[in-house]
Amino acid sequence: MTKLSKKRKQFIVVSLVIPMLLLIGFVVVPGLDLIRMSFTNWDGYSQDSQFIGFRNYITMFQNKDLWQSLRNNAIYFVVHLFMIPLELAFAVLLTGKLRAAKFYKTMVFMPYIINGVAIAYAFSYFFSPVNGAFDAILTGLHLENWIRSWLSDPKIVNYVLAFVSIWRFSGYHVILFMAALQSIPADIAEAARVDGANTWHLFKYIQVPSIMLMVDFVLFDNIRGALQVFDIPFVMTSGGPGYASSTFTLYTIKTAFTFSNFGLASTMAVAIMVLIVVIYLIQNKLIHGVILREGKK
Amino acid sequence: MKRRFITAILAGVMTASLLAGCGNAKTDGSSNEAKGTGELSGTITFAIWDNNLNEFIEQNDMIGKFQEQYPDIDVEVEKIKDDSEYWNAMKMRASANQLPDVMFNKPFTLSRFKDYLVDLSGTEAAANNELAQGYAVDGRVLGLPMTSGYEYVYYWKDMFAEAGVEVPTTWSELEDAAKKLQDYYGKDNKDFMAIACGLKDEWPDYPYMEFMPALESGNGQNWNDMAKTDEPFAEGTDIYRAYHKVNDLFTSGVLGKDPLGLGNDQVTSIFATKGAAMIALGDWGLQNIQNGAEDISQLGTFYLPTRDSESDPYNVIVQGDSFMGVTTHSKNQEAAIAFVEWFYSDAWYPEYINFVSSASSMSNFPKEKDPILAEADKLCPDMVLVMYDGGGDDFSAIQNVTTFDYKKLGAEMLTEGFDLDAALEELNASWTNARATLGIQ
Repeated sequence: MTKLSKKRKQFIVVSLVIPMLLLIGFVVVPGLDLIRMSFTNWDGYSQDSQFIGFRNYITMFQNKDLWQSLRNNAIYFVVHLFMIPLELAFAVLLTGKLRAAKFYKTMVFMPYIINGVAIAYAFSYFFSPVNGAFDAILTGLHLENWIRSWLSDPKIVNYVLAFVSIWRFSGYHVILFMAALQSIPADIAEAARVDGANTWHLFKYIQVPSIMLMVDFVLFDNIRGALQVFDIPFVMTSGGPGYASSTFTLYTIKTAFTFSNFGLASTMAVAIMVLIVVIYLIQNKLIHGVILREGKK
Repeated sequence: MKRRFITAILAGVMTASLLAGCGNAKTDGSSNEAKGTGELSGTITFAIWDNNLNEFIEQNDMIGKFQEQYPDIDVEVEKIKDDSEYWNAMKMRASANQLPDVMFNKPFTLSRFKDYLVDLSGTEAAANNELAQGYAVDGRVLGLPMTSGYEYVYYWKDMFAEAGVEVPTTWSELEDAAKKLQDYYGKDNKDFMAIACGLKDEWPDYPYMEFMPALESGNGQNWNDMAKTDEPFAEGTDIYRAYHKVNDLFTSGVLGKDPLGLGNDQVTSIFATKGAAMIALGDWGLQNIQNGAEDISQLGTFYLPTRDSESDPYNVIVQGDSFMGVTTHSKNQEAAIAFVEWFYSDAWYPEYINFVSSASSMSNFPKEKDPILAEADKLCPDMVLVMYDGGGDDFSAIQNVTTFDYKKLGAEMLTEGFDLDAALEELNASWTNARATLGIQ
């Protein structure tokens, strides 16, 4: 073995071992400990805890406030899901020869790089019932009848929060789609045009299939993001009124820190991990197996 | 060979630092090396959340002044964003044996951290503290309240006068005054609030939801007594009566058009600019109002009148606040206790207590109340002080199991279709179950 190949081997081993150690230390071990804690009644500060079997899991399933929080998560999921085609369309538009495309790209991506808590604060003032900018805009447009209690009406509060979430995260998805679209070799599109393909054909038969990996990622990110949404409802409504705008993560944190029930909170954290995987698998099956019919060629 | 040697050393250092980070830091380099002379030395950490205290510490060189007396003790002040974040951090650190040497508590956290706090009964500071003994847990003084906390209703005297409203002395008078003010100012200003309460944050309803059950019959031990019964929310109990009063007030429209859409910062600003006539806050709220108001010459205070008639006692809540304690995790307990003694001594405490708007908790350093806060005392010479207890072990345990969140309940009162009786009935049922599950008698 030459000196160079020996060094290469060493480099590869070190490059693998260190990340693996970090992964085990900071992900695998805490993950396993989380599962262990989910079977205990640990209160978060006592030195000991008791093993209580599946009691936390039973309590979790019987908790109506938690179910309501999960339903609220579903609103974020659905609203974001409907936005994905639009985000894709935006990405296609911005990838094409659009005047001032760079400016639009910056503008679209800007909300994502602004601090989430700052955005939430800004929007709580925007939707404020007193001196709120949104109500002022509606008044200016003589649409006073449209004014609602944006942050306190349980019927609409989650949609308002989901709108803020879209404002923040859509740009991120657009940029991801654009990156994927730009990686498609230009000669494929040129060849298709020579064969008579129009813009729609290009989109349907070349662009979308070529970026399917990215679409998958965005869909997964949507599930993960929707189920773990925290900062926007936490800052804008504290999950209220009551639990009307609470989310699964918000409720988990409340369980851990307000009600000192880390055991039950760990159970919820395990449940959310399982839920993300299950929903992703179902969504994947639906999109690839039913909508795109990939397995029936 | 040389390069390989250097690489090996670097890898070793990295691994050691990684393991040290994960490990239980037992060697923090701050061991209390008591010198032969008996002088104290070492490093102590002092964790705080209070912005006012932090500002005062920085402006007045607390560490420098302390070291004039104890030159070999170093103090590291650890400022945590706010009290919610503080409790989260302390809970995690308690389980990791990483509590700071000196920490603060609230009345409702004392029992949670009782196993991690050192008894300060023997200190001079405890002997001079007016409230410490009243909050002793199992006879042990686990924290020394830095201030005495009183709750006030701040109001604009000129607005009361213009609307022809007198300062209320009973609950029904408060309800009438609020309605009158709402009708008078609300007809021209649809954003007006007779009583400002930022329920979007939920916690600002604490003067009503947290303290009123104790004020109802003057029982500061109300939460602890609740833990002894199966149905504390049943008709006729203090909490039942108090929450019905609050519910009636909150739903009468006197909180303005959308109190659930506004947070405490927003309503305090609105009150400061006279967009509201009253706001119930602690003594700490005065500084916030002063910061937002152009002119405070018409600002007055009175105590929340929760009594039914003038023949009933005028109960007023008083509580110790910011209980300074020394933790069992401290490697330098003697140094930490010395710091506590110094903090409450002539060298530091009098200046600090004059800086904040809160009242003194030390009998050897009495403080005159701010004239605005003192007005409440003048209006209420017959007040009966109720020493508030935040609830002990049993109450906390039941509260955690039942997820009884009185602040959230107060905000829920404003939601459409909320049925207080049904909510209290449900709480009774879960309370009974929780007591049985936890084996609390």
